[in-house]
Parts: sequence; structure tokens; C-alpha cells
Amino acid sequence: MQSSYSPGISLLHRLHPLTKLAAVALLLVLLYILPGEWGSLLLFAFVLILAFTAGVAGSLLRTVLRVILPLAFSLFLIQGILFPPADATPIPLGPITLTREGLLFAYITSARLLAMSAIVLLLLRTTHPADLVYALTQRGLPRSIGYILLVTLQIIPDMSARATAILEAQRSRGLETQRGFLRFRGLVPLISPLVVGALVDVEERAMALESRAYTAPGPKTSLRQLFDSPAQRVVRVLLLLSILALIAWRIAQYFM
Amino acid sequence: MNQPSNSIIDLRDVSFTYSIGTRPALSHINLAIAPGQICGVVGRAGAGKSTLCALCAGFIPNFYEGTFSGAATIDGQDVVQRAVAELVRHVGLVGSNAFSQISGARFTVSEEIGFGLENIGLPREEIIERIEWALGALHMSELRDRSPYALSGGQQQRLVLAATLAMRPPVLVLDEPTAQLDPPTIESLAELLRDLSRQGTTILFAEHRLEWAATLAERIVVLDTGELIADGPAAEVLTEPILLERQIGWPRPAILANAARDAGLWPGTRPLPIAVDGLVAGLRETGSASERLAPTPSTAAAPSVTPATSQAPIIEISNVRFSYPSGVEALKGISLTIGKGERIALLGRNGAGKSTLLRHLNGLLLPSAGQVLVAGTDTRKTTVARCARHVGIVFQDIRNQLFARTVRDELRFGPRNLGYSTAETEQKVDRALDALGLTDFANIHPYDLPPALRRLVAIAAVAALESTVLILDEPTAGLDNPSIERLNNLAANLAAQNRTMVVVSHDLDFCFEALDRVIVMKDGQVILDSNWDRLDHNARTIIADTVELPLALAADEALAAPEQSAIGQLLTHTAQTLTPLHAQPTTRA
Repeated sequence: MQSSYSPGISLLHRLHPLTKLAAVALLLVLLYILPGEWGSLLLFAFVLILAFTAGVAGSLLRTVLRVILPLAFSLFLIQGILFPPADATPIPLGPITLTREGLLFAYITSARLLAMSAIVLLLLRTTHPADLVYALTQRGLPRSIGYILLVTLQIIPDMSARATAILEAQRSRGLETQRGFLRFRGLVPLISPLVVGALVDVEERAMALESRAYTAPGPKTSLRQLFDSPAQRVVRVLLLLSILALIAWRIAQYFM
Repeated sequence: MNQPSNSIIDLRDVSFTYSIGTRPALSHINLAIAPGQICGVVGRAGAGKSTLCALCAGFIPNFYEGTFSGAATIDGQDVVQRAVAELVRHVGLVGSNAFSQISGARFTVSEEIGFGLENIGLPREEIIERIEWALGALHMSELRDRSPYALSGGQQQRLVLAATLAMRPPVLVLDEPTAQLDPPTIESLAELLRDLSRQGTTILFAEHRLEWAATLAERIVVLDTGELIADGPAAEVLTEPILLERQIGWPRPAILANAARDAGLWPGTRPLPIAVDGLVAGLRETGSASERLAPTPSTAAAPSVTPATSQAPIIEISNVRFSYPSGVEALKGISLTIGKGERIALLGRNGAGKSTLLRHLNGLLLPSAGQVLVAGTDTRKTTVARCARHVGIVFQDIRNQLFARTVRDELRFGPRNLGYSTAETEQKVDRALDALGLTDFANIHPYDLPPALRRLVAIAAVAALESTVLILDEPTAGLDNPSIERLNNLAANLAAQNRTMVVVSHDLDFCFEALDRVIVMKDGQVILDSNWDRLDHNARTIIADTVELPLALAADEALAAPEQSAIGQLLTHTAQTLTPLHAQPTTRA
């Protein structure tokens, strides 16, 4: 999301988006190859250090914990109680009984989610979405898909502003939303203006894109400039080779 | 050039019917526009103005589908044979709905301006140069790094203009460019377009605001039900009787001068003016002969409206302060009483606190300090929906309101929410449809109506609540004169039923003609609360400095010499009793 980017000039910010993307891919592969008991936490610590050097550690930690903590809590509770194997080691805790295997499973899953979200978020925090999309379209991502990605990112914040305005307009026409919950009938006048408005916008937006030569044939210029270097290209190749090697090694294990 | 004539826009016998249309949107149009000319297109809602704009911008027949006949060339390009993407180098189109014309693919104002230039592959340095030029031309430099979606409606409109101008098209087409703009921006837009025209850009614009069209256009083309009914120099066309016959109207200076002529105060041979300076000059000419002013006291009648203070209160606002969570204090101690039967204009610049105050009148916002009583009940102790029995609000962006499949269903929503029976609801709906002239469109989808009528639907939908107070935010934006006339009548009818209308608007002429009391806000405070016909020179100066004066008052101020006060009274009285449709093309001496 647009709001997840925090501007900066750190090394991490300045790296080519594809270099960062390759590193993210390697880290995600490692996440599944390293033993779940300690690998995820190790990677998480590594990402936090990187985030610290880029000056985004605090905000990253806050976002990740806000998402992961409630999830982890429910995982521990549900898996702890309901983990299937009948021979699981019971751990009685007051009125409920947890199992050792269930808790372990919950721990590994939560740790993985924690590390995974931190890795992805670090990329988004340090890479402007327009740069990311531009780098991908340069490597063959269709322009139309890049466009849809960017429009979606831009329009989400606007949608929430419109939702507020719609609520104001319909309450001013006597729609009761303050006492008790909304009846289903009450949702139609809140959702339809958003949908109808979006559909009407489509035609005008298509005209606007035509007016701005979006479909014009011929070469395009880009205002955004991405800085790449031979060193980064080498690093990218090495990263991709490591990913391949790791996957090959993992598969080979099954045959030994 | 394969073009025999030297016209940059050349339409020959062009007719077009949309594939979903039942009658031609344009029929047998012949129009040739020379390079560098500024040509205005006027006509009622649904007359074909937007279709003509789309055609001249190359969107017909290759974007909008339908039946096309005739020949059309723009800047030497045949619009039938060329794709829209090729034509963009020759013509740029700016519509009235800025929001949907923002590409959405760029994150800052300056990148948005550069978007089209990137697409035609200009060198990077030139793109940057043109972005700087466009930012400067539209006074947007301080907004360069903002997100396009974080801008106000007026700023978005400027952004769309900047992005189009940066493409440097030889022909610029604008479809109701002023619909979202406030008076200072409208004035600077006219300046900018005149500049561009001097530099050789050809400009075609469609506009409901006849006064603005009159000051900008050299030439005016009039459309009615798809046919071109008049074409010529602005000063001649805009005072043609056919414009009154076809309910299009005249610019206000012409209306006022015509009334002055009827009262014997306009030089017999002088043509009717279309701009305020022409009006002032003509009145000065006769004004010097002071004996001719004598037989007019009956025309300069006493104000017909009762003073605001005598009315029974319906909303009482006392010492209201309001701060947003961001810490901005938007209201700094407001005390106002709104009475039954009043017609009130709430004026002020953007950011003065008008919208915040509006939202206090039905409890959408609750005061941080002080209190608001609606029909005697503290807004803190009730709900917005219950307030709707007493106060209905129509917000400016009607897209947020309309949702039903038919106009009638849209109108039923409010009365049903208030718990009226089916029979009562139908009665209220019928009355509201009738009041706004929408009875014939009751079974049509609101979005199938032209934008002007769509706004009337939104207003009717709140009017159907039949609440004591009806509040309208920018109700005349994008309306044609017949629609404005209906609002004017609505205000009169509400007052006759001892009900109240409150209008927030940049359209000072409408506020002057339709409403009595005027409240001016600045920096979260009320700086003026009076009636239009009780304003002295100082009060008028406050209004002129804060927003702008209605045209009639501005002319009156320009004439301000004491011996000419009879003219002033005539002017202001005329303006408050006649609207652009009311003037009769009387016998001319």
C-alpha cells in the first residue's frame, strides 16, 4: 500500500527493486528450509537489524506485531486444544487441556508468519510501489497489469473517504445507523453509491487514459529512474542461484 | 495539410446518435473554427454540448459507439479514420468531473502531469520542463508532491487542466470546466485560457455559466436538442431573443440592462451588454441626466422580505466550538439562530468552516463546546436520523447519495426512513418530483439523466423528507438556467410554507436572487449576518473581500455616486425579482 512506504535514503532504500525482490525470495525460501524451531526467529532478528539500518525498525515492528499477535494468540489457543493426534502429550491447564505438539505447531506457524510478514513489509517500507511496478514492467510485466496494481493502491484510501461521505449523506436522509446494528436493507444505500460510482467512473477514466495517450503506439519515457549497478546485477544472479541451489538441495534430500 | 479550409475544427453536416439513444444527440451540425479562436457552446442540459465536445476531441465515433454521418476534421485529422490515441497530439479534452480524469497511475501531482508526456515518449528533460511550466501556469507549485487524491475538487480540476495543457495540444476542448471551481479560480482560469488563445491555442468550451462564457468567448454557438440554433459573435448571440424562447437565458448584465431599458434608463440605441463593465458604462450614460431618474420610485420598491429576526427559531446555535481530531479548530465560537421560513446564504472561502458548521445542523458533528438545538432538542441527545425530520442536507458530491434504480425509488428512501406510511410517502414523493420538475423522469435511472437533472434528483430526494429546514451544499454546480429556476421556485415555495432553506454556494448571483439573509464566515467565525437588501457599503466590501459580490451589487458599487442611487435600487431590485429566464424580449425603441 502507498501508506506502507516510508521515504528514506538508506542503502536499502537505494537498492534496485529487483535486487530487493530477489533477496526477499531467498529469505522466504530459507524460511521454509531452516528448521522451524529457531530458523524463523533468526530470520526475523536479521530482518529487524536490516530495518534498523534503514530507519524503519520501529514502525515495522509495530505493524507486524499488530497483525501477528492476535493471530498467534488464536493459533496457540485453537491448536493447543484441538491438535488432532490422539497420542499427543497432554498439558492440563485449569479447565482446559493443551497438547505439547499443538503448542509446538502453533509456535512454528506463528514464528513463520512473523518472519514472513516482516520480510515482505521491509520490502514495501523501503521501496516506492511505483518503482517496484516500473521495475517489473521493464522485465515484461504487462503495462495494463502494472496500471491496475497502481490504481488499486491509490484508490483504496480514497474509497474509505468516500465511504464516510456516503454514510453522512444517507444518515442525513434519515437512515438510522446509530441505534443497534444496521439492518441488511440499510446496507444497500451505503454500498450501492460506491459500486455505481465506480462503474460510472470506469468510462470517464477510460476516456481520461485515452486523452493522456496511454494507448498511443511508440516508445515511452519514464520520469522515474531506477539506479542499477553491475555489482547489483551480480548480487541478483548470486541470489537467484542460491535459491535454485537451496531448492535443488532440498529436493535431493528426499532421494538420499 | 490535406485540409482545404483554414479551419482547425471543421464539422460538415455532422449527425450522431448514440447506440443507446432514441434521437440524434447532434443533428446536421456545421461548424468551422479558425485557429486561436475561443468558441463557447451554450444550451440547456441535454442539448448536446457534451457530445459536441466529445466529437471535437476525437471521442466520436471511435470511443462512443453510435451512428455517425457527415465529415469532421480536427487539426487536419479525420476523426473517423484516426484512433483516439493518435488524435491526442492534436486535441486535449478536459471534462467537468475532475476526480475520474486523474489517471490513478501516478502518486504525486507533478508525476500526474507528466503521465501523458511519458506516454508519447518525450525526452525526460522536456517532460520535466513542461511539468514546471504547467505547475506554474496553474499556480500549483506548492502542491507538486501531494497525492492527486489528497487534493480538493477545485485543485483536482486544476491538476487535470495542467496535465492536459502540458501535452500542448493545438486544440483544447473543455466541457463545463467551472462546475467545481470557486470564483477566484474561475477568474484565473479565464485569464489562462485567454493567454493560451493569444499564443495560438484554439479553445472550444461548453458552459452553463453564461456570464463566464460571455467574458471569455469571442464566438458563441447555441445548441438546442442537438441542433445548432445560433452562431456568431458573443455580444450578438447572447442577447438573441431565441435564447430566452428556448429557456437558455441571457447573461445577467443583459437582463439588467433590458430591465433598465424598460424603465427608460438605458440609452435607446445602445446594444445590450453581456459583461458588467458594459452594463455600468451604459447606465452611467443615462445616469448623468438626473431628471430621467425621477419617475422610477415605484420600481425601486421597498424590500419585500420580512426581517430574519422575527421568525420562530428552528435551529439555535450557541457558542459552538469544534476541533477536529487533528487539532485544527474549525469553529471558534459560533452563535446563530435560524428561523422558520428563512432563506439563508452561507458564504465564505474554502476552509472558512462552512462544511463543518453544516454538519452541526443535523448532528453529523457534535460541538466540542457550546450546543446546537434542533427543534428544541440538543443534538447530543438525539440521532442524525431523528434530526432528519427537521433538517435535511444535500451534499455537494451527489455520487455519494444516489443509489436507487429509478428516480421515484430514490425519492422514496428518505420518507420511508422517517417511518411515513406508503400513502404519505407517495404524496411526499409526488410533491417533490413536481417541485423540481422531475415528474416525467420518475421511472428513469438517475444515472441515465444529464448531470444537471441528476443533481435535481439528489435535491428532490432530500426535499421529499419535507423537513422544516432544507440545506443545500453547492446546489447550482453544473446546473442550467431552467434547473436553477426550479431551485429558485423551491426556495420561494418553502418560505411560503414557513419552511427554511440554507444554501452554501460560490454562486453569488443565485444566492442573491433566491435568498434573503446572508451569513459570511471567515476562519471559523461569523463576520457578517445581514439581509441582502440591508447591506451598506462596508458590508458589501466585506462580502467582496471574502468571496465576491453578486453581479448586480458589483454594478451598483461601480455606479456608487449618490445621485445614481435610483439606478442602484432598480438594479438590485431587478436582480432579485428577475432571473436569467425571466426577462421578456420587450419591444425595443
